[in-house]
Order: sequence, then C-alpha cells, then structure tokens
Amino acid sequence: MAPFDKVLVANRGEIAIRVFRTLRELGIGAVGVYSEADRGSLHVVLADEAYLLGPGPPGESYLQQERVLDAARRSGAQAIHPGYGFLAENAAFARAVVDAGLAWIGPPPEAIEAMGSKVTARRLMQEAGVPVIPGTTEPVESVAEVVALGEEHGWPLAIKASAGGGGKGLKVVRSAGEAERALASARREGEAYFADATVYVERFLEDPRHVEVQVLADAHGAVVHLGERDCTIQRRHQKLVEETPSPAVTPEVRERIGAVAVDAARAVGYSGAGTIEGLLDREGNYFFLEMNTRIQVEHTITELVTGIDLVREQVLVAAGQPLSFRQEDARFSGHAIECRINAENPANGFLPAPGTITAYREPAGPGVRVDSGVTEGSEVVGLYDPLVAKLVVWDTDRERARRRMLRALEEYVIEGVTTLVGFHRALLEHPCFIAGATCFGLVETIAEQAGAAAAPAGPRAPTRVREQVVGVELDGRRFEVTLLRPEPPYAELARRRRERAGDGRHHAAAREAVVSPMQGTVLAVEVAEGDEVREGQVICVVEAMKMENEITAHRHGLVTALSVAPGEPVTTGQVICVVAQEGEAAAELDPK
Amino acid sequence: MAKAEDGRSTHTKLEELERLREEALHAGDERAVARQRERGKLLARERLEKLLDPGSFIELDRYVRHRNPHFGMMERRPWGDAVVTGYGTVFGRKVFVFSQDFTVFGGTLSEAFAEKICKVMDLALKYGCPVIGINDSGGARIQEGVVSLGGYAEIFWRNVQASGVVPQISLVMGPCAGGAVYSPVMTDFVLMVKETSYMFITGPEVVKTVTGEDVTFEELGGALTHASKSGVAHFAADDEEACLEDARYLLSFLPQNNVDAPPYFEPSDPPDREDPELDSLIPGEPTKPYDMRVVVERVVDDGEFLEVHQLWAENIVCGFARLGGHPVGIVGNNPKALAGTLDIDSSVKAARFVRFCDAFNIPLVTFVDVPGFLPGTSQEWGGIIRHGAKLLYAYSEATVPKIALITRKAYGGAYDVMSSKHIRADFNFAWPTAEVAVMGPEGAVNIVFRKELEEANDPEARRAELIADYRAQFANPYTAAERGYVDDVIEPRRTRPVLCDAVKTALTKREKRPPRKHGNIPL
Repeated sequence: MAPFDKVLVANRGEIAIRVFRTLRELGIGAVGVYSEADRGSLHVVLADEAYLLGPGPPGESYLQQERVLDAARRSGAQAIHPGYGFLAENAAFARAVVDAGLAWIGPPPEAIEAMGSKVTARRLMQEAGVPVIPGTTEPVESVAEVVALGEEHGWPLAIKASAGGGGKGLKVVRSAGEAERALASARREGEAYFADATVYVERFLEDPRHVEVQVLADAHGAVVHLGERDCTIQRRHQKLVEETPSPAVTPEVRERIGAVAVDAARAVGYSGAGTIEGLLDREGNYFFLEMNTRIQVEHTITELVTGIDLVREQVLVAAGQPLSFRQEDARFSGHAIECRINAENPANGFLPAPGTITAYREPAGPGVRVDSGVTEGSEVVGLYDPLVAKLVVWDTDRERARRRMLRALEEYVIEGVTTLVGFHRALLEHPCFIAGATCFGLVETIAEQAGAAAAPAGPRAPTRVREQVVGVELDGRRFEVTLLRPEPPYAELARRRRERAGDGRHHAAAREAVVSPMQGTVLAVEVAEGDEVREGQVICVVEAMKMENEITAHRHGLVTALSVAPGEPVTTGQVICVVAQEGEAAAELDPK
Repeated sequence: MAKAEDGRSTHTKLEELERLREEALHAGDERAVARQRERGKLLARERLEKLLDPGSFIELDRYVRHRNPHFGMMERRPWGDAVVTGYGTVFGRKVFVFSQDFTVFGGTLSEAFAEKICKVMDLALKYGCPVIGINDSGGARIQEGVVSLGGYAEIFWRNVQASGVVPQISLVMGPCAGGAVYSPVMTDFVLMVKETSYMFITGPEVVKTVTGEDVTFEELGGALTHASKSGVAHFAADDEEACLEDARYLLSFLPQNNVDAPPYFEPSDPPDREDPELDSLIPGEPTKPYDMRVVVERVVDDGEFLEVHQLWAENIVCGFARLGGHPVGIVGNNPKALAGTLDIDSSVKAARFVRFCDAFNIPLVTFVDVPGFLPGTSQEWGGIIRHGAKLLYAYSEATVPKIALITRKAYGGAYDVMSSKHIRADFNFAWPTAEVAVMGPEGAVNIVFRKELEEANDPEARRAELIADYRAQFANPYTAAERGYVDDVIEPRRTRPVLCDAVKTALTKREKRPPRKHGNIPL
C-alpha cells in the first residue's frame, strides 16, 4: 500500500529524476514542474505529468511558491518533495505546504528555521554540547569588530552570511587590510541571495577536511546516522568530488562524529534526512559547521555503501512511518566516490559553459551509477545550477573505487558542452588524490593544466523551440493550445549574429573596452564615469550561475562610456565600459 | 595459397591508399601551418568542416598534382596541390566548394589548381547547386607563367557562365590580390574577415611608389574598408568562425539555382500578427529621421533580417528576411542616413541586390521613404544620372513579385524608381503618413507660386498658407491612390499581415520578357 497516490517534486534536472525513480518504486505517481526554459528538459519527459510554472528565471518559476502549490492542487498531489536548492530549505514554504493540507517531505519548519540561521544554529549547538569553531555568535556589523576578532583568534578569519550556504556569502580574510572588502562582499551576497545581510565571523581552519554526517530521523523519536562523507575537494567552497568512507575517519572517529550528528539533529527536533556538515582538523577535532536540512547532492554515495534508499526513507517518514532500520542495523560496506559532472570550463576559471549536448552516452557496468538530468540534444541553460549529472561508483575499497571511477569517466561521452569529465580524470589520477590527502590547491593546478588541453565545444545543434498558439476544438469546446515547434535550422545562426552585432558595430572600441565574459546580472558597480582605475581594479560585479564574478579593468586609465547599472542583465561580450588612456580618441559607442 | 597471396596484396594496396590519403591531408608545410595558426586563421579543411554540415564533406581530386617542369618544381609535388575541392551540405542542401590552402605553395594558383576549381564549378552548374569559394592565396604561381593566368581566366569565365544560374558566394579569408580579386567580385556575395583578409589590385608598396600614399594592408583593402568604403565586400565578420556562419545563414535564404524556389519554412511567427507599435513609429516632424531597419525588423518573421552591405551606402537598406516563411529581398530607403536620399553608392548597391533577387526568384519588398536624389557636384560629376538609372533599370527589369510600401516620402523621380506601380510593381501600399508628390511642399510652393509670392504683401505669411494648402492637397497618399498607383492605404499596424498576404498572392507570378541577347543596363 503506497503512502501517497501522487507526489509533486518541486525541482528540476537530475534530482527531480532521482526522486521520481523512488516514487515509481513505491507505486506513487510522479508529478513534475518546469519553467519555460525547461520545456525540453529530461525531467519533464520522465514525470508522469508536468506543470508549467513560469518563465526561465528561478524567481519567476521554481521559486514561485504559489505556483508550485497550485500545480500540486491541480495534479492532486498529496505531498511535495523539494529536492535540494530552490525551496528545499524555505521554512515559510514548508509551512505553506502543510497549511495547504499537503505533506512536506522534509524536516519540520522549525528545524529548518533553527538551522537556517547560522547564528541561531551555533547557539543551539553549543547548548547541546556540540563542538563549534571559535568565533562570534552575534552578527558582526563593523570592520573594527572583524579586526578585533582577528587579533583575538588569529588570522585568517571567515566572514559568512548568516543565511548563506554552498560557498555563497563566504569570504576569507587573511589580514586586517582585507576586512573591509570581504565584509561588504559577504553582506552583499547575503542580501542578494538570501535577502539577509547578517554576517558572522569565525576562525578559518587551514587545510581541514570537510567531513559531513548523514542523519535520518522519524517522527517517532528515532535518530540514526549513516556515516560520513568526505567532501574536502572543493573549488571556491563548491564540492566537486565526494567519497565515503573518508580516508581520515577511523571507526572510532565515525562513532564519535556520528554521535555528535545525532545530538545535533535531536537538539532541533529533526525528522527526515539531513546532513551535519563539519570540519575535521589534523588532530582529529571535529567542529560543527552547519546543518543542511534537505537531501544532499552527494547522498548517493551513502546509499551505495549502506544499501539504504534515503529518498525512500524521506517519503515514508513524511507519511508518518517509522524508519525502516535501527542504528545497529546500519552496515557500511566498501567505498563509494561521486564526481559532479558540471557544465563548466575548468580552463576558464570554472565559468559555466552553457550549450547544447550534441552527443551523449553514459558509462555503465559493474558498480556504476549515473544520476543525470540530460540526454543527447538537451540544452544546458545558464539560468540554473551547472550540475548536469553525478557519476557515482562503488567498489570494495578506495583504490578499486578510484580505478572504477577512472574507467567510468573514460566511458562517459558528452559532446557539445565543456564539462568536468576531463578534469575529474586528471584529479583522480593525481598522486595527491591517490594518497587520500586534502589536496589543497590541487583543483586550481589541474584547472590551469586543463587550459592547454581544453577542447573547444562542438557545434551547437538547434533544439530550441518557438511557440505557436493555435485554436483547437475538443468535444465542441474551444481551447488555445501552445504548440512547441522546433526552430528552423538557421535560427541559431540568426541569434548568434545578433549577439555579435552588439560588439561588431563597436569594433573600434575593442581594444579599450571592458566586456562581460559571461551572461548574468550586474550586482554592483564599483566605479563611476570618469574614475581613474588601475589594472585589475574591480569595475563591477556580475552574478552568473549564482556566483559573484568580479569584472576588472584590463589596464590603467579613465572609465568612460560606463553602460551598466546594478540589477541590469548583461550578455557575453557586452561592453561594460571603456578604459581610455591619454592620447586615445574617446571611443564612440552607439547608444543603442 | 594463392588466395592468401591475393588477400595480402589487397591489404598492401589498402595500406598504400591509406598512406596516400594521410599524405594528402598533411600536404601543408609545417612552418606554414604554424604561421597560419599564429595569425588566427583556420586551415583550408577546417574551414570546410565549419562551413558544411558535420561529416558531409566529400573531397574530389585529392590526388591531382601540378605538372610544372620548370624551376625545379618537380621536386615538390604535394597531393591535391594548393586547393581542397569537393561538395557537401549546408542545412542538408548540396553545395560545391573549394578552399584555397595557403600552407601549400602560399595558396598560389597553378594550372592543376585552376582545373580543380573549374571542375567543381562545372559540376555545380550541371547539378544546379550553389558554389562557395574560400579564398586565401598569394596569387598566381609565377613559376607556371602564362599557364597560371590562363587558369584564372578559366575561372572568371565560369563565374560569368554561372552568374544568375546558381548562387556563388566568396569568402575571402586571407590575401586576395591582383587579378585574383576578379573571381570573388564577380560572384554574388563577398564575405571578408576583419584583420586577416584583404583584397586589392595593387598592394601598399606599389601604391607608395606610384602615388606616394602611405597606407596599411588593412586600410587599403581590409574587410572594413571594403564593407564600408568600396562596397566590394557584402559582409565583414569579426573572425573566421563568424564569417563561415554568415555564409551558412545567407544560404538559408537562397534557392539552389535559378529555376528552384527559395527554401520555405513554416513560420512560427503568425503571418497575421499586427504590431500597434508601428502606428506611432513615424515622427510627427517630416524632417525627423527614424531607422527603417526598425520597421523592417518589426514586420518580418521573428525580426530576423540579414542585412547585406550593412556599413556601405547606409541611406539604403538591403537584405534578406522572411515573410510568412517565404524568403524575400528587402530594399528600404533609410532616413537615418543622408535623409534617405538616393545617391551613387546607394543606387548601385540596391540595383545589384535587386538583380540578384530577380535572378533567383526572391520576391522584392521595398520600403519607401525617399525625398529624392542627393544634389551636389560630386554626385552629378560622379554620374548620378547613369548610376541612378541602374536602380531604375533593375526594378523595371525584375519579374519577381515586387511589393512596395510607402511609409512617408515618395518624391519626384525617386518615387518612380522605388518599385512604383508604373514600372510594374505588383502591389503598392502606403501608410496614411505617406506623401506621394513631385517634391516636398516647401519646394513646390516656391516654384509654382514664385510670382504670387514675389507680389504678396506678406510673402512669408502667404508662403505658409500656400504650403499648408499644398500639404493638404498633395502631401498624402490619396492623390496617388485615386489613380490606383497605390492599391491601398493601410494602418501601419497591419503592415505584416498585408505584406505576407501580398507575397503569397504574387508568388505564382510568371512573366516573360521579350527575347533578346541581353538588355543594356547603363553600366
């Protein structure tokens, strides 16, 4: 007997498909949602039924709570699974779901709130006896406070947006001189992403391991842990490779940090799946960082070593059932590794590399699992997370798992967009990874080397659609139907030509112009018309793929023809301003 | 036993074939390849790969070699000589191609080289397919002497035979100097790449010796020079990739040959779409400029308009677009430049474009806002009379569907020229803002009422009165519509539905011209 008839998954891409799979195994109908940009996406095809939320930008679709709830009502879904990201850790939405008479497949809103604010979480954890990193529990307002804390605890410090996560809103300060910029930047990111500029400050541990513990809890008081995941290999605090068990965690340490995690979850009355993130220093000390009150991207590796379907437990717990196992039943077997296959170009500072996948073949064979959201012809759009797939392998020990991952990476064919497949191969072959070290700085080194070997993206196939509204009559009733017709083959060329026309007409300005290397939204403009700038000075900050990117002056000179303002969108190659030097005629820019 | 021997010998021959192919692929001199890359230029085969649909290229004549016994040339006889030829598809439609290889003998033209190009041109003509040539050549192969010149002329002759029969497109992606320029310029479209390509009859050194002018390659014959000053280049791309994409995009509007229809795609942009914005587009002041391109883009399918000669003679806009899925050639006076007057360059630009469209069954849609011909000595002495006549001739001669829309001014002789009813346009429409007259009210009043104005007590007040009268009587579309010169006066918002329908209606038009060898356009 299935706990629900239908569940709506308020997400897209691989995680939506991942949840659909479990739902189907449970005999539950899978309801999908999508944005206009996702009309051709795989998760829409794989859902039993799918509902349009709105235009491409997440703020107009996947983050539109009312539209998600409306889709649930229209489909008759009895519960909502939020996946990760988007509305997953939004307590207000969780409440709205419950108020709408639906089941929320996630922790109680109170738990989300408690853990959502880092300041509250830290205080609660300290009260519960969970070790935390030295630092402030009060929001920090001024540069002077930051400097004082640095003097007290020693540099470097980390400034974090209270509501931040996943590296957003986190700035490292290595000296008093950097405090001002870092504080402003962290506050701005907090404001931009989470509408909360509150930040706090803590000691920044050098070369720690990032070790997190999976917990599961039910509404009947049971809380268990499913061991750790080592996510030390990151880029700008974004995880790239995860493995379990951690090369640094012994059974004793596992028992200790598992108990810490269970304590933490109990302290906020948790239920469902959650993750305690923490840092493990060289001496084996474990510090609580934050709790992610949702299913994690990397939950897959835990599933492979425990054999437990975490999404299944989430669904059943949400239906009021007890956990299907006890702590003493949990068995850890072998070693699992996950590589995140992002559509990013490591040779270009991991800038998102949107495009159309022209050829696609997933690896398979013993011990290989691929959770992906794309297929041949899929378009990776710049609006969303660049994660297109997760390649996960299992084998009996770490070295075997590593070799299996290399084999699987070798089999993986993704053409048309640049991905991290090649990067992961270089990473997993590196002696540092083989040794199971923290590999600090290795990601950047490999990315640099990848620059030389980077293969250019292949031609993009036209898979976009154009809308055409037609009237149809069905049983004597008239409907307006939007037909999604594939674009004619030349449309892509027309579009690219138009994009180029922007800078093509201002060819003379190319030498002096600062252009946006990416498509995104301007968050802040740090200079004014007529300002003198030096090479490398920040002109403006552009947000793309949810990351802040600083656009800097390429040379010394005077800022002229500044053409962007905060909140405005910019496209790749768009002229942001001109840095004029003496003796040069002021470049003329068409005001259009 | 014998069988095994045979098997081995076939195997050996296959190996030999593979070796020869490999050699032909790498005929280019290693240092020349490196230099080509340093300049940001693609190799001859790479260009073809990007131009054609992936994997569609079939190479011909890869084993052709030069036969020149002089100057020790027999020592080096690379397979394929200095040009890659063959055929492939663009959006699934067959095209014949050649791509000159600068890394072999500097891409110089030998007898064998010319023969390879002539072969694909002959085939293209035989099968009725477009020819696309990629030019990157140091010129004649001096070691071959007059044989090389003969080779050029064989190509020129074929360019002329193919002219108006199959579309010919030239991509200039490197040097193209001296006599070599005459092949591209006789083709229908010349596409150049900024910074890396140039065309001229005599280079900067000769210019310096003869005229004393100091000029760089780029200034003398670069892409921007030819795209904005001389009109030799129809398109100037920022880089080779953009140039190759432009060629593909251009082909999407063109038929395979002069008896085929241009490619139709079912439109997703509804042909009956109205655009209220157009109702307020024409400025109240008759002297205020606006951009005719904006009108065009608001009317055509999906706003997609491929402008030809975008930077040259900007007072007239030419280019390709679709109306209701059918490719059309757009010609429009652009008040944004020189008030939209017709001058020498704009007449020549539009005349050649009109003739191309007529040759290849592409309906002409003309957007008229023309105050007349540009006055001045430079124009008169430069021969505006005979150049302006080219456009008149081209429109008069054209038998494809001709549709015109007068948005504002249609004055004087320029009114006749711009696809008027009298030179056999099929459908003529006007917006209510149109003024179809011999000249503007001010000028007309000064002439017609010269005497009266001289005698008036208050000439200025009288002039204003007379101008107002004239405006009311003649500065409108209705006088022309009364006589059927204008078929209908339409709301600007309805322009797209009206034009789409007119194009569709006129598509079945078949008109025969009197037999003759050819007309005598005032060249």
